[in-house]
Amino acid sequence: MSDLKENLKAQIIEQLNLEDLTPADIQDDAPLFGDQGLGLDSIDALEFIVLLDSNYGIKIADPSEGKEIFHSVNTLADYISKHQ
Amino acid sequence: MYFIQHIESITHQDSFQKENIWNELKPLAGENELISPDYKNYIPVAALRRLSTILRMGITAAKACQEKVPAEFDAISVGTALGCLTDTEKFLVTINTVSGDVLSPTAFIQSTHNTIAGQISLDLKNHAYNMTHTQNALSFEVALKDGLLCIDEGKHSVLVGAADEAIPFLERLRGSLIETTYPFTSGATFMVLSGEKGNSIASIRACNVSFSDKHTETQVEQFLEANHCSLQDVDLILEAGFDFKSKAKNHISFPEYTGFYQSASAFAVHMANDWLINHVNDSRILIVNNLELNKLGLTLISRNEVEA
Repeated sequence: MSDLKENLKAQIIEQLNLEDLTPADIQDDAPLFGDQGLGLDSIDALEFIVLLDSNYGIKIADPSEGKEIFHSVNTLADYISKHQ
Repeated sequence: MYFIQHIESITHQDSFQKENIWNELKPLAGENELISPDYKNYIPVAALRRLSTILRMGITAAKACQEKVPAEFDAISVGTALGCLTDTEKFLVTINTVSGDVLSPTAFIQSTHNTIAGQISLDLKNHAYNMTHTQNALSFEVALKDGLLCIDEGKHSVLVGAADEAIPFLERLRGSLIETTYPFTSGATFMVLSGEKGNSIASIRACNVSFSDKHTETQVEQFLEANHCSLQDVDLILEAGFDFKSKAKNHISFPEYTGFYQSASAFAVHMANDWLINHVNDSRILIVNNLELNKLGLTLISRNEVEA
């Protein structure tokens, strides 16, 4: 699971062009969206859907689930491990 | 009269936020790069990460213009020939190479030509008239004419500009789709135009575009005649693609300073404006944009005192 989280962090940085960040800057349980976390926005949410599809072959059938799935690296990794 | 209130350029010259760009200009030679300001001073970091060079240049030059004039722009008119090439290339390559059902949205959203003008409006929270023009090497002139019409309609502070960016792929088009011996470069020039003089030094007196194979010199003479002057009254010709050496008092080939991007004639307006600051005895400058065959853009710029 920890390897998955590290991979996810690197992929998030690359996919979202977070040039100033390293994987170590992203906490496993920190919110990815909103002012409390990385400050990602709705376009980034779309990029997450692409990331899950292209890197893990997972399609999100119900976009309304996104808010819960994309909350943090922990929730993303949990969703991937259950659906891959 | 269309007064130039302020003008900013980001190019391969050290031209951004300079008192007079002629203090910095030198003909481009050999390898050269875009001289970028620190974009973080103008664009929030969260937004900057997904903006390509053309968007960074355009937004920054436009915001630097807005900082210099008190009134919000009541029209924004932007010209670009090839648009957001980096994002277009990225999107097309992704279509060809990615095996999923879904494609990255960012490159697609930002690949359209009107992204530049749109992002400027979003960033400035400006809800005024917003238009993008793309007419190959005459994109800037068409955008300029739109801006002049806006002033004719009574708008007071009009942002007119142009931007294009180079990507390595353009080299593959050299000699086939693009005929030039100059290096491919990137550049953005934005200017604030107004019907009120303010502290302006120079004005756009007229602009004309022509898509015909008519003799260039004849068209130039007719344009000047329509504006009550002749080649003898022109102190400097800034030209691309047509040699006026024998006809002009002063003659500069502006691609020597800009390199090749199709909207470089916008930078020639910046060169003209600052030339008139330096040369107090000069009154009229003609920009002849014949960068592409059978496309002719003519812009006449004059010192304000002459017309006032």
